[in-house]
This record gives sequence, structure tokens and C-alpha cells, in this order.
Amino acid sequence: MSHVIETKGLTQRFGKTEAVKNLTLQVPQGSIFAFLGPNGAGKTTTIKAFMNILEPSEGTATVFGVDSRRLGPDQFSRIGYVSENQELPEWMRVGQFLEYCKPMYPSWDDEFCEKLLKQFSLSRDQKIKSMSRGMKVKTALLSSLAYRPQLLVLDEPFSGLDPLVRDEFIRGVLELTEQESWTVFISSHDIDEVERLADWVGILNQGRLELAEGIASLQARFRKIEVVVRGEGTIPKTLPEHWLTLEKAAHTIRFVDSRYAENETEKTIPVHFPDCAGVTAQPMSLREIFLTLARTYRLVA
Amino acid sequence: MLAFQVQFKPGIPLYEQVVFAVKKAIVSGQMMTGDKFPSVRVLSQELRINPNTAHKILSALVDEGLLEVSPGIGTVVAAAQPATKKQCGELLGADIERLVVEAQKLGLDLEDVEEAIKEHWKRIKRGRL
Repeated sequence: MSHVIETKGLTQRFGKTEAVKNLTLQVPQGSIFAFLGPNGAGKTTTIKAFMNILEPSEGTATVFGVDSRRLGPDQFSRIGYVSENQELPEWMRVGQFLEYCKPMYPSWDDEFCEKLLKQFSLSRDQKIKSMSRGMKVKTALLSSLAYRPQLLVLDEPFSGLDPLVRDEFIRGVLELTEQESWTVFISSHDIDEVERLADWVGILNQGRLELAEGIASLQARFRKIEVVVRGEGTIPKTLPEHWLTLEKAAHTIRFVDSRYAENETEKTIPVHFPDCAGVTAQPMSLREIFLTLARTYRLVA
Repeated sequence: MLAFQVQFKPGIPLYEQVVFAVKKAIVSGQMMTGDKFPSVRVLSQELRINPNTAHKILSALVDEGLLEVSPGIGTVVAAAQPATKKQCGELLGADIERLVVEAQKLGLDLEDVEEAIKEHWKRIKRGRL
């Protein structure tokens, strides 16, 4: 599998502060990669580094196999980028802005652009200056979709959007679905926004990458385990490290096994809980897995 | 708009939930033989799901014989296939067993369960809503 974005030992310093620490990350081609972490974790800084807005203090980043410091029109014409604080030329009308963008992108698709205008309920005559935040975000997205980019980079695109605009935004992004080997990199502090969309997740915490994995593999190895014990249910001092967020109430002990293997886990439990009377293992949603990891890593904003 | 509805519940894979919703819509006549089925793009947009998941749903439904690929049209609802022995065996074996276990756990009587099955049976009869 080839990687559209790849960083190796990427470090980004601002004065004495290390915003991103030794980050090694691979974004597989064709994935919808959710880059999760609390506000201030270093998500935007990472994006700015591989988009050549910042020069890495250490390490490297590549996009389409090209070093981020050498990215030029050839690459940028295949990347769509929408950031949280996207600035648009306020003095223009939507139509003027689109005409201004068009010559920079050889693959600009007029028909698709018209379709998106309709879908987003935008008109070419609207003055950008007088538009709501939601309309501005839609305009920014439209100008990044109209040339059918192979990589779409979205930095906290949903923050401050009302649910309706958020919905329109997601539908817009999914317009590109039929395109081959199309990759989306989307940063968010909120799992709810990306739960059903993503097939890969990366979790960034205080500048460090805690995890980067495919969702299928995460869901295969995470299980909510419930153990019913006959006795007091004393929790032994030493338990496997991959048993997370252990809790006890009455005769029930509940935890998350982050390395679940069918039959293996069931065999290990009586070793630690000799008076175990029953075990159930339930699959978990991405949201539940994320919340477990957030507690385990103590994700802090 | 889709001809079937899914209210996503946590804990069950998205893909299973959608496949079930489609089966239910076909059985209850919300979708009939020859009806066009949405493409991967429409399915992922309408349900806001990953396109790869949408693709997996379509392949599963084709594999199970509920949909068929019709050249030039796309995917359509297939004519009802005679059930295989294996499929009937699964339903009458493991699936019913699960129902019986749950019912007994809740302390229901056999009559309660029979009554409930009859009601659902009438409600979701193929071709009638």
C-alpha cells in the first residue's frame, strides 16, 4: 500500500515549545484518515508542516512522495485544503473567486463546480464579505473540490458549523467517492464528527502520536469485557497491561481488552479471577474505543 | 432519499445494520424486484458513511442474491431466490435459539413470544406494508 502523506521524526518547535514531537505517520492512499486529538495537541501544526506552510525543525514530511519543502504547483493542483480559519478574498463575489481559482488547476471541472454550487445553495453573485461563516466554509470547500483533488486536507472543518451546514459539507466531500485512489485527511477534536466516515485514525496528544491504525484492525482487537464473579470481586494488583479502564460494581468487573483474541482472553480471565462465573465480550464502536483511549492516554486540552 | 431506513445503534457493525435494513425493506415491499438500488456514492452520502463501507454493503447484498448487477442500469433488486437449506437452517437454528434464550432470560411465556412473532409476521409480509 502506498502512502500519500508520510512523516518521519517530524518535530516542530516554536521557540522552546515543541508543538510536534518526533512524529512518524503514514496515511494510506484511498483512506479517510481521521486525525484526532484535543485542541492544542498539534494537529494544525502537523498539517502546516506537511503542507509546506511551516518548515520542519527536524525530520521530514512527504506528500505524494515529494519532500514538503519542495512541494510546488504540480502537487498543490492535486491537493484540496480547507482550514478552520481559511481566509477568502472578502471583496470578491463567489463567481469571481471561482474564476480566480480555476486557472491554477488544470483538472478544474466546470460541470462539477455548477453541481456543487447548487448543492451548497450558493450563487455566483453573492458577495463573500456579506456571507455567514457556514457559507464561507462551503465556498472554501467548493473551491477545493471543483478540480477533483486526489488528496483532500481538512483542518477542523466542522468547528462552529451548524448541523445543517455540517451535513452539506460531508455530502460535498463524499461527492468525490467515485474517484479512484482518493484520500481524505481530516483533523478533528470530536470523534462524533468523523465516526462513520473514517477508516483510519491517528490520535495526537501533546504533540505525540499515540496511535495510528485502521479502524477494522482497532475494532478487531478491542472488546468490552464483563466478568461476573461469585465472591467479593477483589481486583488483583497485577493485571495484563492491555486491560484498560477496569471498573467494579457489585459482582461485575468491567474493562476493555485492547488485545482481544477469541478464546485467549476467555482463558486468561479465570487466571486473574478464579471465582469467575461468566464472561461476555462485546464489540465496540469507534466512539467507545476512542473514549477508552482518551481516558487511558489522559488526553488533555 | 433512500427507500429504506437505518437508525444506527452502537455496538453493531454499520455494515450489518445497513444490510439488515435493506433485507427488511425488500421483504416488506418498500423495494421490489427490478428497483434501482443506490450507487456507492449515493449510499455513502445519504448515510454519511465511508465509501469503502458502502462498497462492502453493496457487495454483500449482491453475494447474498438480494441485488444483481444489471448492465447499463447499475445495481437492482433481484427476484426472490428460493432459500437454501443452509440459510433456513441458520434461521431456524442459531437465530431462533438466540431469541428463545433472550425470551427465557426475560421470563416471557412461549405464548407471548408466539404472539409477538405472529404480529411481526403480519406486519412485514412480503410485498405488503
